[in-house]
Amino acid sequence: MTRISRCRVTLLAVGLIAAFGSLATRAPAALDMNVGVSKVVQNQPVSACDSSAKTALNAVLQNAVELGGDTGEWIAFGAPDSANGSTAAAAINCYPLGGAYVVTFTCAAQVPPSADSAAALCTKLSAAFDSGAR
Amino acid sequence: MNVKRGLWLIAVAIFLGLLSHTAAIASVDLSAGIRYVSDTGSLSDCSAKARAALETYLPGASESSPGSGEWFASGQNLLTGAPSSAATVRCYPLAKGYMVTFVCAVQLPTNPYGAYPLCLDIAHKFYGGAITPLAAMPTATPMPSGCATTNLVGTWVSDNDPKLSFTMELNGDLTDSEGVSGNWIIDGSTVTLTYYGNHTLKLSPDGKRLSGAGYNLTRKC
Repeated sequence: MTRISRCRVTLLAVGLIAAFGSLATRAPAALDMNVGVSKVVQNQPVSACDSSAKTALNAVLQNAVELGGDTGEWIAFGAPDSANGSTAAAAINCYPLGGAYVVTFTCAAQVPPSADSAAALCTKLSAAFDSGAR
Repeated sequence: MNVKRGLWLIAVAIFLGLLSHTAAIASVDLSAGIRYVSDTGSLSDCSAKARAALETYLPGASESSPGSGEWFASGQNLLTGAPSSAATVRCYPLAKGYMVTFVCAVQLPTNPYGAYPLCLDIAHKFYGGAITPLAAMPTATPMPSGCATTNLVGTWVSDNDPKLSFTMELNGDLTDSEGVSGNWIIDGSTVTLTYYGNHTLKLSPDGKRLSGAGYNLTRKC
């Protein structure tokens, strides 16, 4: 084997080790789900909840939609990355209680690659909801 | 060899390595929107049904805090060793009765079914409705054990010389008690041992004995 051939084989091996080594160290993705807060907001119509839910979901995730029309059930997904689909999602449920409403947050994330855990996602959403509700 | 060609070779190798990793695109699938309002019943009634409905599909349902009426459970995927499905059932007391919501999440394609079918089954288990069987969660292929007649996996001891034993692996390898290696193949009840040459033996119907070509072996099982 010539010196050049040996060099080529070595470089090829370096490349393969780099490729397979990077895969071997990849942690398995796990589904993380969080039961976020549930709170009652007094003296507010459920339409205020809907508005804040949409705002919060669009601020933290994207493309918030209300399921089935005027249901108070809102859902949104994170932006898909180049290697995966959406790895974060959340639901906000608004339900009227006379002159008040109850709102619940539920979040899910695939960790890794999602930078946020489901709990962190729900905390962000709750904060964004409160900002929108003020 | 110039630098450009060297870098090109590394790039080709990395590409080939990555190409061999055929991971499918993974994503989170979330289902919300199933809500049920009962005019009768208490929060504890709702909680009892929530727990039972969750545990029909996901093990170990737990309440986020005692008396909250917020229930959660997740399912472990044995192939990945990590959860790939989860669901929450949240009960909220009303002046008369209660309201309950169902939210489910799964990791696709790792999980064999989507979030909506899971949520629909949990909800129907809670308040009644058609139950559609979910695809079975994949399980790790168990190592064959016992005296299977489809393989020779296990430890075999020579009837003629009890000090001589063979360990046979699932991949067709065999190693004797002195460290000498060989291979085995089974076709029906006919076994070919490659061990100091090729030998044809017969496996007994109960999978416990191998005999032929001067060998008489008994499997420990």
